[in-house]
Amino acid sequence: MNMDHVQQLSRWLEATDIDLLELQGPGEQLSLRHNGKRVEVVSHDIAGDGPAPAVVTAASVGLFLHRHPLRAEPLAAPGAAVRAGQVVGLLRIGALLLPVTAPHDGIVVSVLEQDGAVVGYGTPLVEFQVPGGQA
Amino acid sequence: MIEILSATALATVQDLGRAGALRWGVGSSGAMDPLALAAGNLLLGNDEGAAAVEVPVFPFQVRFAADCAFAVTGADCAARLDHMPLPPWWACEARAGQVLQLGVPQQGGAWRASRAYLCLAGGVDVPEVLGSRSTQLRGAFGGLEGRALRRGDSLCAAAAGAGLRATGFGLVPPALALPLQADGVPAVRVLPAAEYGHYTEASRAAFWSQPWKITPQSDRYGYRLAGIPLEATDDIEMRSHGIVPGVIQVPPSGQPIVQMCDAQPSGGYPKIGTVIEADRWRLGQAPIGSSIRFVETSWDEAIAALDRNRQWLDEARRLVELHRGSRAN
Repeated sequence: MNMDHVQQLSRWLEATDIDLLELQGPGEQLSLRHNGKRVEVVSHDIAGDGPAPAVVTAASVGLFLHRHPLRAEPLAAPGAAVRAGQVVGLLRIGALLLPVTAPHDGIVVSVLEQDGAVVGYGTPLVEFQVPGGQA
Repeated sequence: MIEILSATALATVQDLGRAGALRWGVGSSGAMDPLALAAGNLLLGNDEGAAAVEVPVFPFQVRFAADCAFAVTGADCAARLDHMPLPPWWACEARAGQVLQLGVPQQGGAWRASRAYLCLAGGVDVPEVLGSRSTQLRGAFGGLEGRALRRGDSLCAAAAGAGLRATGFGLVPPALALPLQADGVPAVRVLPAAEYGHYTEASRAAFWSQPWKITPQSDRYGYRLAGIPLEATDDIEMRSHGIVPGVIQVPPSGQPIVQMCDAQPSGGYPKIGTVIEADRWRLGQAPIGSSIRFVETSWDEAIAALDRNRQWLDEARRLVELHRGSRAN
């Protein structure tokens, strides 16, 4: 995303009642805040080769489930070793279940929201310890 | 394409059944849990009635010979793709060479079930016979060469790869949204049938009030139940006549038999009731050794129950399509 795009988005945001616009794309993140008068760029990160995030956030609005509705045991209890891509939690939207997946092989450190909690886009959900990295 | 690695028999290719063939003496066949089959297909964007593999005996293993999107629904059988655990009722994609393992169904969970469905992108590609891809075991046609699957068999997906990258999500099983129990025992709704009035008052009361145990002599053809024997008030002698899946016959032993998907199209035993079409999936999933209850219902309630199944599928399809659409953009 270049500066022209950021300026265009800022102009659009100025014309609305929306306070905060967050955009996330592959390797890129942009936050624009509208304080009522003008729009400021809060952050604009272009991801480098840094460590993968150790906290997985909600990719959608939904009910956060620790366990599959058919099962008694949690998908990933703290201390569980998980593989990259493994489903460690679920977001329920009606009958639809979306996965909360481990970003890489690691250990589940903690589950940050209650079972059944209503979560919004971007809510931190599960924290991982990455072997050789920081939690 | 998938290759069957398991030696256990009885897994068959099934779709929603061969409707309209009873007049030729051809039974319907089809999935014992049509809701699970339809749900697995809609997770992949298939037609609801696309053919899938019905698995009643575990463990069951297949190897993917090519990349392919798939979904596993029905009984929670702790599916694993190579070493990666998959949630139940889930769509996923396999890479060529990966092995899918379905374990023994979990019986401690919220729903006791006995059959799993493996759906493939586009459906299992076997020839249609008399309007269906279901295996007709008695007539030895349909499905794969009219027989149960064997180790070494290969099945092709009609649209392998078409669903790739639109997987990785699932559905809450309809058993949780559409629960039905009587005194804590899984139940099915039943319409009294032609010879209902020929049973003693005590037997009619027992028919509705006692749990019926599903004996080991139960399969895709019919479920033989065990309980206090049903007694007729008179000798009922009948000629063979047409019967359909769901019909509950009472042989001279007084122990009822519920006709299931592979039932023959005619029989001469008296009929005490019929499990409604909307609830056959519940019975189709009930494990051998478990008990079920019969709950009396009416024609109108039976139709309304079918509508509720339809509504569940429509809502699931709407949510899945919204999600697939959002992923495609």
